[in-house]
Amino acid sequence: MPSDQLILAFDTSAAHCAAALLSGDQVLGVDVDDMARGQAEHLFPLIEKLLGAHGVEWPELARLGVGIGPGNFTGIRISVAAARGLAVSLGIPAIGVSSLEVQHRTTPVLATVPAPRDQCYSQAFTTGAGQPELTTIRAAQAMADRLGIAMGQPLQPADLVTAIGLRAQAATVLTPPAPLYIRGADAAPPRDPAPVILP
Amino acid sequence: MTTSLTILGIESSCDDTAAAVVRGAPGAAQVLSSVVAGQTDLHAPFGGVVPEIAARAHAEKLDLCVIQALDQAGLALADVDAIAVTSGPGLIGGVLSGVMCAKGLSAGSGKPLIGVNHLAGHALTPRLTDGMAYPYLMLLVSGGHCQFLLVRGHGDFTRLGGTIDDAPGEAFDKVARLLALPQPGGPSVETEAQNGDPERFLFPRPLLDRPGCDLSFSGLKTAVLRTRDQIIAEHGGIPRQDRSDICAGFQAAVGDVLAEKTRRALAVLRDETDGPLTLAVAGGVAANQSLRQALLAVCNENDARFTAPPLALCTDNGAMIAYAGLEKFAAGERDDTSLIARPRWPLDQTSPSLIGSGKKGAKA
Repeated sequence: MPSDQLILAFDTSAAHCAAALLSGDQVLGVDVDDMARGQAEHLFPLIEKLLGAHGVEWPELARLGVGIGPGNFTGIRISVAAARGLAVSLGIPAIGVSSLEVQHRTTPVLATVPAPRDQCYSQAFTTGAGQPELTTIRAAQAMADRLGIAMGQPLQPADLVTAIGLRAQAATVLTPPAPLYIRGADAAPPRDPAPVILP
Repeated sequence: MTTSLTILGIESSCDDTAAAVVRGAPGAAQVLSSVVAGQTDLHAPFGGVVPEIAARAHAEKLDLCVIQALDQAGLALADVDAIAVTSGPGLIGGVLSGVMCAKGLSAGSGKPLIGVNHLAGHALTPRLTDGMAYPYLMLLVSGGHCQFLLVRGHGDFTRLGGTIDDAPGEAFDKVARLLALPQPGGPSVETEAQNGDPERFLFPRPLLDRPGCDLSFSGLKTAVLRTRDQIIAEHGGIPRQDRSDICAGFQAAVGDVLAEKTRRALAVLRDETDGPLTLAVAGGVAANQSLRQALLAVCNENDARFTAPPLALCTDNGAMIAYAGLEKFAAGERDDTSLIARPRWPLDQTSPSLIGSGKKGAKA
């Protein structure tokens, strides 16, 4: 896309609300508020403050970048749902960017994002991108050793949202964003078997 | 109020992703489009709605439903006056997805945002479908709710009573599961009951011996379980006719309880108004023909008018949210992009809570 178009990026995949405004690949501003809860109420006021500070109106935006996780399920849904609504109302593309892929630049890396209970979400980026998975931190370390690549570190919110904006700017495939859950929904079929029906 | 308003409504508080466009004025509006994307297949293996599965589906379907609803109405987002969204009560993951999508729609289009109580959507539907005048009695009876509401205005509700445990829709689902009938349980239990004898198994009529309009369905569920287990112990399974008889007996018990409590609620309405008495029912359970007949009979004996919106507007939908939003908007009520999604949000803030009286407050 043209190098001076405005891109808004935001992310609520962990305990923060983060937004970045870019003009092409130039970062105009970044705003981050740490918060464990309340992202749903705080995200739009935070974005509106950022846009206002740079005298930018919503309709001037050309593209959206949104963090799709992995991370807190509710958190990633908050941003993805907001981005999808904005894409409809502004008539511009929203690009989903994972917090694993932003850890990969040029050198191979095993990207990781913390997960509950001594686990992490990980994805190997070598000659191509591997499958993202949920694993123990120990197993991820073993995999990095086996592949002979470094363990990636999760980006701080300000760096993360900036990277999301840059990836969105460079993106050529414009599919609607979807959360990157990796882990399935916790649900089990009912334990009681259905009774036998006699004729 | 002669101005015609066009409102987009969004609903995602349970397992239906819905969007609709409604146009008109309070008491005189019509549905231009209504799109409902259900999730029955996603939840079927689990015998009930799984909140996380529902939330995941909503997040990726809402915008598509909105686009479809606008298309079917032949409108662009720029043509609507405001965007109404269910902001509670309900499964919070779904409510949040809807609220965030609506905020995105509102922020980008500059259209006002209106948070709507899901129960108000149901309770005001008779005004959308029949132009019903206030006050009227509303029986909201669904998979998640059961309450009698005295509706005096778009924001003025008094809860006369409600379930102190399960909703009837839940009981129908549970009974269907106990008897190896498919989900959702409402239609399958109703069909099975058609071949059954409602008097063979006499199930309890909970809370009929107590004054007031509160209801309870949990004990009835357990009674069905005990009867079923007895039959299985005797036969090694459930003979088909016994299954039909249980369904008929269960449905008769629900009908008797709803009828008697409706009788009492109509008496309260009679003290409230000199005008004609009207009972409106909404919610998926209102689709049950045998229950409708029971309610109709009570209305006839009380000279009350009985009305039930068409099924598509009885179950969860976006049109009811758009219409409730229309009434709020016409009254000058607006929200902004800091709108909060609320899992708990009773319509009647004054009556003591029935369920969820813990520190988080009443559920609905």
